[in-house]
Amino acid sequence: MKRKPVFAALFAASLILLFATRPTECFAQIDIHIHTATNTMESHIHGLTGEAFGDGQGRPDVGAQLYRRYCIGCHGPNGDGSGENAMWFDPTMGFAKPRDFTLAVFKCRSTPTGTLPTEEDLFDSVTRGFVNTNMPSWRPLTEQERANLIAMVKAFSPRWQAEKPGAPITIPPETAPTVESILHGRELFDKIQCWKCHGPEGRGDGPSALTLTDTKGNPIRPYDFTTGERFKCGASNQDLYRIFMTGLDGTPMPSFSDNIKPEEAWDLVHFLRTLQVTLKTPELATFQTWLKGHPNTLKPIGQEVP
Amino acid sequence: MLSEFVDGKRLAGRLLPSSFFMLSCMILSFIFIDAKPAYTLPLSHPGSVRAIPAFARKYGLPCSACHTAWPELNWFGQAFRDNGYQLMNDRDSPIWQNPSFFPITFRITPNWHRENTNHQAVDSIPGDGAGSVLVDGTVRQHGFDLSGFDLWTAGTLFKNISFSLLPSADSTGAFHFENAFVRFDNLFNSRWVNLRFGKFELDNLISEKRFLFLSANGGIYQLYHFVPVGDSNTFGLGDNQLGLELAGHSINSYTRYSVALLSSNDGQVGLPANRGYDTYLTFSQAFQVGSLGLQRFGAYAYIGERPTFSQTTSGTLIPGTGMGNKSFYRVGFSGDFFFGKFEFLPLYMHGHDNVFLGTATPSNQPLLPGARAPSWNGGFVETHYYYSPQLVLTQRVEIIRMAQQAFPSTPAAAGDPSIPDNQGNINAYSVGFRWYPIMFSRAGLSWHNEFSIVKSIGIVPLSGSGNGLPPLSPTAGVWSNSVFTGLDFDF
Amino acid sequence: MQARYVLLPVLFALMVAVASVGPAPAGTIEGKVTYTGTPPKMKPIDMSKEPTCAKEHNPPLLGENVVTGPGNALQYVVVYISVGEQSAQPPSEPVRYDQKGCMYVPHILAMHTNQPLQIYTDDPFTHNIHPMPKRNPEWNKSQPPGAAPIDTKWANPEFIEVKCNIHPWMHGYFAVLNTSHYAVTDNEGNYSLKGLPPGKYTVTAWQEQYSTQSQEVTVGPTGAASVNFVFKVTPYLY
Repeated sequence: MKRKPVFAALFAASLILLFATRPTECFAQIDIHIHTATNTMESHIHGLTGEAFGDGQGRPDVGAQLYRRYCIGCHGPNGDGSGENAMWFDPTMGFAKPRDFTLAVFKCRSTPTGTLPTEEDLFDSVTRGFVNTNMPSWRPLTEQERANLIAMVKAFSPRWQAEKPGAPITIPPETAPTVESILHGRELFDKIQCWKCHGPEGRGDGPSALTLTDTKGNPIRPYDFTTGERFKCGASNQDLYRIFMTGLDGTPMPSFSDNIKPEEAWDLVHFLRTLQVTLKTPELATFQTWLKGHPNTLKPIGQEVP
Repeated sequence: MLSEFVDGKRLAGRLLPSSFFMLSCMILSFIFIDAKPAYTLPLSHPGSVRAIPAFARKYGLPCSACHTAWPELNWFGQAFRDNGYQLMNDRDSPIWQNPSFFPITFRITPNWHRENTNHQAVDSIPGDGAGSVLVDGTVRQHGFDLSGFDLWTAGTLFKNISFSLLPSADSTGAFHFENAFVRFDNLFNSRWVNLRFGKFELDNLISEKRFLFLSANGGIYQLYHFVPVGDSNTFGLGDNQLGLELAGHSINSYTRYSVALLSSNDGQVGLPANRGYDTYLTFSQAFQVGSLGLQRFGAYAYIGERPTFSQTTSGTLIPGTGMGNKSFYRVGFSGDFFFGKFEFLPLYMHGHDNVFLGTATPSNQPLLPGARAPSWNGGFVETHYYYSPQLVLTQRVEIIRMAQQAFPSTPAAAGDPSIPDNQGNINAYSVGFRWYPIMFSRAGLSWHNEFSIVKSIGIVPLSGSGNGLPPLSPTAGVWSNSVFTGLDFDF
Repeated sequence: MQARYVLLPVLFALMVAVASVGPAPAGTIEGKVTYTGTPPKMKPIDMSKEPTCAKEHNPPLLGENVVTGPGNALQYVVVYISVGEQSAQPPSEPVRYDQKGCMYVPHILAMHTNQPLQIYTDDPFTHNIHPMPKRNPEWNKSQPPGAAPIDTKWANPEFIEVKCNIHPWMHGYFAVLNTSHYAVTDNEGNYSLKGLPPGKYTVTAWQEQYSTQSQEVTVGPTGAASVNFVFKVTPYLY
């Protein structure tokens, strides 16, 4: 029919107009400002290469685009944690502010305090999310998408170009959760004075707990073991080991790797599990059985050295 | 397929102005958008709320985190929904929110639209004066209008107990409850066991409630509401149903299943119809394909029954006492495939209604000669192109073909009922785009533009446009098209 | 006669050799840092959270944000050469920072970039040492009683605030500088930068509340230059 080509031509013309000319500048775009001018920030995780910006050759879902879709509302266009929603996260209610990527200081690492995390650490953090915060678990995103996002996180700080990540700490195999291990862990908890912040029962009510602030000056609370909730950096014994042997950078939680020997560290892990009185763990069961048989034999935690 | 649509001089003549309109919308959008600053826009079908800025307010995520382009969910948003509107961060229970936070949102779309339907029975002399007969005419309506209004509240009553309540009004303000349910999430500490009770949308892989079309002709999936001519069935796969659902999903929602037991009343409250029950089963599996994205395919089956007659008193029907239940089913496959910025949503359906339903015969009476069980096949392919989180282009092609009519086209004996082979067949095509000038966490606004055209053979178009009467000839191809431009907003 | 004519040039050559080596740089910049205006009154520190320290400091110590001395002197001002010095090698002797009686000693420790720093704890209870840099990597380590000193260093020049999370009143600074010519003023506000080769320098003074001031000065071959700083103080912190 005569009119058919006209219709098709009109449709094609509208598509051409839509794609070829204006939209590249016009349609509302939020700029992502980055601190580093490089376009080559990459990540290598699980055999995938993640890219922050792509090479302009049509990788459509590179890190910057994904960041704009998923992350910008909290972490902000500058990656400094000042997204439009960040002002509503109330640290006094226990909601941490979003991470500032420009400082490259991260809580959950397998590397020593003061060093950069590995890309695997960042990938795990994004995948797992952070309990008690508004950082979700991004597991439904594909691994490639998460790898691209990690590359974008790195692009916000020049530290990633100057430094290499730290060497991940070696974690020896876990020792048996015996009563001896738990009691030794209890001694460590007392001697090292974890209770100053975490409290003698691990309720997060130690003498120094109320004045704790993170590095940005926001109030922050120590973990309350009695809730049995997952830790910031995971839920397994290994994760717990890593937390106090690498510290949570950016928070008052220090690294104890200089002061606790690796074998002793497992004892502390076993004792800490017994503080999680609402969680059924083998350590808690062992300890409660022992306590029933040995009532009133333990010195209370938190006696100050005279 | 396109040739079918441009068949006929009259059609093309009508299409031309419509496409000019679409084109001018696009051109105007360029002019407006180029002005600085970026947010320059000063410019139905009940618009179903399925984007909830209340969730964005609660968790601090922008709309684009959970929605490819609201209201359509992306797979992160689907996982959030599967978890019972929970992020699973141990802070989902409402006690962790400031008491002044109330999870409520609303949505409405003021619009301008134009409906045009041919082969409508109209009086040759308006007013039906002396000598007037019913002739084949075209009905055209256009003007500024409102869509329906949705007021939605959803979230958690407690950790792992979620709820939703959606009073919805048509454009006149008459309310009904589109959904209302309580869901027990992660029962036995397992994400595979979630129990939902109330009125809710079936767990269709391709959701009609959360799709990107709003016009009269484009704002429904024909397959989700189609019933053959003369059929007394009242079911639509896209209608929210009342019942009980057991559903589960893997940790990232890549594997999902749903099994539901529903009342056979198509979601109508007040027990209007019968005492039968339907079953719905669906399953889907997703897998990652490198840098292309997530690919998902699934299958579904809805097996139901409807009454063919009722108890009466003095000839008056007693509501809720339907009897003579006869069965029907809708089965098929669907998928959701991503290739970079393109998303393809194909669906296939095979529908089959029992012969008593198909011929509207009470089961305690004999069937008319030649009666058969109607069955049909249909499918659609919908394409989205996400230029950015703030611009999506959409199109859809859908067809329905009757495989077997309730009566043969050539009856065995003269005077017996007959139905032409192609009566009820549908071709539908839609194209449009949505531009979101703002994309943040408190409210949403979209400029929605759409053109949809449907050819229904011998039946009233499902959009209801036109005069609502079947065409004078059962083989006439009724063309109905909608042009729609509106501002879809929610808070 | 022959010998004299040989000796003289030899002696002359020797003198030239010695002269070209030259004496050690003897230029000095000295001065005093004072204030004008009314300084804030430092509050006594409440150490009741650590009873041992509370008992040890009775009457309690005052905060150290602004420490003044006789004659309007300002203590704990870091004075250093910011421009004009050739790049220096970091010294290899370590500097020492102590945690003693729930206080950091000294309140401000100045050091060269990449100079070894040793952090000791002398208290019978746990501290954590938490420097909060912006240009250097941040770390946080625990030091229980009897722990070994921490050996570390800082690569980038910066004034790094140090705190202990367990004892929130503990507050000190590492002044990491790109020069080996620095000093921290004493209680009389005096400082002295010795051993400077002749030349033009910019001297900068930094006080933790009142930021920096700079002045230019020229030092002759054996001369002493005098640079005084006057900080305008306010009666409140922030």
